[in-house]
Amino acid sequence: MDNATLLGPIRKQLPGIFFTLGLVAALTAILFIVVWESGLAHGSIVYLIPVVIAATRWGIVPALVAAVCGLLASAYFFYPPAYSFRVKEPQEVIDLVLFVFVAVAVSQLANRLKRQLEMARQREIDLRDLYAFSRRLAVAFDVSDIHAAIEDHLASIMQRNVVLFSGAREASDSSGRRAGTTVPQRVLAEVVEVAAGRHDTVGGTIVTTESGEIWLVRAVSPKSLEFGVIAINLGRESNERSDELRIRVDAVLADATATLERLGVAHAISEARMRSQTDQLREALIGSVSHELRTPLASILGAATVLSTAPALRQEKKLTALVHDVRDEAERLNNDIQNLLDATRISSDGIKPHVEWADPGDIINSAVDRCRHRLADRRVVIDVPPDLPLIHVDPVLIQQALVQIFDNAVKYSESGSQIKVAARTQDGRLNIDVADKGAGLTIPETAKIWDRFARGERHAATTSGSGLGLWIASAFIGANDGKVSATSEGPGLGTTVSIELPVSQAALPQFESGADE
Amino acid sequence: MSEPAPIVLVVDDEIQIRRFLRTGFELNGFVVHEAGTGAEAIRTATLRPIDLVIVDLGLPDMDGAEVVERIRSWSSVPIIVLSVRSTEAQKVHLLELGADDYVVKPFGMAELLARVRVALRRQMRAVSGEPTVKAGPLTIDLAARAVLLNDKRLTLTPKEYRLLQVLAQHAGNVVTHQHLLKEVWGSIHVHDTHYLRIFVRKLRQKIEPHPDTPKILVTELGVGYRLVQSGAEGDAGAWSDTNAPAKSET
Repeated sequence: MDNATLLGPIRKQLPGIFFTLGLVAALTAILFIVVWESGLAHGSIVYLIPVVIAATRWGIVPALVAAVCGLLASAYFFYPPAYSFRVKEPQEVIDLVLFVFVAVAVSQLANRLKRQLEMARQREIDLRDLYAFSRRLAVAFDVSDIHAAIEDHLASIMQRNVVLFSGAREASDSSGRRAGTTVPQRVLAEVVEVAAGRHDTVGGTIVTTESGEIWLVRAVSPKSLEFGVIAINLGRESNERSDELRIRVDAVLADATATLERLGVAHAISEARMRSQTDQLREALIGSVSHELRTPLASILGAATVLSTAPALRQEKKLTALVHDVRDEAERLNNDIQNLLDATRISSDGIKPHVEWADPGDIINSAVDRCRHRLADRRVVIDVPPDLPLIHVDPVLIQQALVQIFDNAVKYSESGSQIKVAARTQDGRLNIDVADKGAGLTIPETAKIWDRFARGERHAATTSGSGLGLWIASAFIGANDGKVSATSEGPGLGTTVSIELPVSQAALPQFESGADE
Repeated sequence: MSEPAPIVLVVDDEIQIRRFLRTGFELNGFVVHEAGTGAEAIRTATLRPIDLVIVDLGLPDMDGAEVVERIRSWSSVPIIVLSVRSTEAQKVHLLELGADDYVVKPFGMAELLARVRVALRRQMRAVSGEPTVKAGPLTIDLAARAVLLNDKRLTLTPKEYRLLQVLAQHAGNVVTHQHLLKEVWGSIHVHDTHYLRIFVRKLRQKIEPHPDTPKILVTELGVGYRLVQSGAEGDAGAWSDTNAPAKSET
C-alpha cells in the first residue's frame, strides 16, 4: 500500500498537487494583503496550514509540495529583500529551516493519521461484512444457503462478479446463468475440471473467453474441495493488473477460508449433507419396510376372509372365532402401517391436496362408511343438514382425518356409547363436530393431544396405538386451510373434536345458463 | 345364472395372493386361471375364453395399467384392478384406461366377490341388451326413458335423467367425475365438479328414500359415483360382512 502510494503514477497525485498549489497561492495573496495592511514582519509559520491540509487530504507528496512552495513564497514575498529568493538575516534563515523541518514532520504525522483512519474504516467495513456473513452462516439452513453466503461475501469484498459452484455436478448441470451473472461455457468447463480435482487447485487457472473477458477459476480452499469452486470475472484488465487482482483474490480467499474453517463451515456443510441423506434413507427405509409388510398382510387378510366363510369351517365356532381374530389383528396391523406411511408422507414431501368442490355430507358419510366395522357397536348419530354449502377441499384428506378422529373416539369410549357427528355453518366456516361420551380429557391432555406420538397416559396400558392418528388428522385438515380442536368437560365426560373448514361461497363458480337444459 | 361357471383370470406375481383368490373363487363356484406376469396374462386372455380379469398393478414384467390397456384394445372382458396403495388420481387413470373397477389391497374376499358379480352382471346385460336397471326401490327403463321409484314414475329434468342414465349404463361400477361431466355437460365442463355435486344432490332428493344417507347413488370420494345395485353390493367395502353367508349366484 505504502509503496503504491509513493511510487504510483504521478498522475494519481496531480489533483492533490494542484489543489495544494492553489491553497498556497490563495494563502500568499491573503498574507500579502495582511502584511501590507498591518505591517507584520513575516508569516512563514502560517504556511503550515496548507501543509497539514494537504497531508491529511491528499497524502505526503502534496504535503511536501506545500512545504516547498510555502518556503519559496515566504522567502520571495515576506523576507527582505522582498521579491527575491535571497534571505539576508541569519535569524530568518533559521526560521525558514525550522519551518521546513516542522512542515515535513507535520506532514508525516498527518499522513500517518490519515492512513490509520482509512485502515480503521476499511477494517470496520470488513468487520461488518464478516459479521453479516457469520450471521448468515448461523441461520443457514442447508448447504446451498451456506454457499450463497460465501458467494455474496466474496463478491462484496472483491467488488467483482463472483459465482460459486458447490461441485462438479452443479457446474455441469448449470445453464450458466447464476445470481444475475452469465458464466461462459468455457469457464463452466474449467469449473467442472477443478471441482473434480483434475486441475491444479492452489493457484487457480485463468480462462479467457471468446469475448475477451478474463475469468479466474480456483477452489475456494486449496485444502478441501468441500467449500466449492469459485469463478471470478476479472474483466478485461491488462496482464499486470490481473496479476495484481489475482494476488488480492489469493489474500481474500485465504482470509475467507480461515474464517470458514473457524466458523466450522466445512463441518456444517458435510453435516447438512449427511442429515439430508439420513432423512432420505429413513424415508426410503420406512417406505420399503411398510411395503414389504403390507404385501404379506394382503395375503393374510385375504386368506382369513376366505377361511371365515369356508363351508368346512361353518360349523366350527371356535375355529371361526380364531380366524376372525387373525382377520381383525391383520386389519389393525394394516391400519398401523397405513398411519406410519401417512406420517412419513407428511414429514417428507408435505401434503399436496387435490382440491375440488365437494359435498360435506358425502365426506362425512364416506368416513362413517369406512369406519363401519369399528363403529358397529357404538350408537352413531349423524346430524348433517341437507343444505350445507359445497366446500373447496381435498375430500379424501378430510375423510381420512375424520376416520382418524372416529378411530380415536372409539378407542377411548365404552362399547354401546353414543358418537355424534354434526355439521354446521357459522360465520363463513363449516364446523364438523365429532362428540363421544368417552374418557374425556384433562387440561394437560387437551394441550398435547395433537402432538406427534402423543398418547393418553391414563389409558396407555389398556389401549394400543402409535400416537400418530390425531397428529395425521390435524396435518390433513391443516393442508386444507382448516383447523382442528378438541374440548372436553373433563375426565370421563366425553370429548368433542371440532374441524373447522373455510367456506367461500363467493368463489363457487356460477352455473352457465342452460346447465340444466 | 344357471349358466356354466364363470371363468376368472387372476394376474398377480404373488403366489400367496393367487392361492387365496383361487380358493375363494372356487368355493364360490368360479373357474380360475392364473398368470404370474403381464405377458402370460395377455397370452392366456387371447387363447382361452375368459369372463373376467383380475389384475395386480405391480407385475414384474410390465405395469398392470399396461395390461389393462392391451387387453382393452381388443376385448371388452370386465377387468378389476388390485392395487396396494391406490391414490385417487391413479384410480381415475385406471378407470379411464378401461378398467371396470378397482379394489385396494388389502381387501376381503367378500368385497372382491361383490365387485366381480357386479361386473359380470353388467357384461351380461350389455350382451343381452336388457333395457331396465334396478337399484333397490329404483327402476330405470333405458328404452322407455322412464324412472320409477317403488313403481311410481318420477319427473326428472333432462340433465338429471342423463346423469342417471350414464350411471345406469355402468350400474354397479364406479363412473369417474370426468366421464360423467363429459357425457352430461360436454367436454368443456370436465373440471366443473360443482355441477355434479349440485345435480347429484337434486337427484338424490328424488330417488333416494333417505337423501342424507344415500344408498343408491353413492359417492366414491375423489373418484366418482356409483349406482349401487340391489343384492350383490349391499355392504361390500369392508370385510366386516364376511359373517353373512356368501350368496352364490352360480
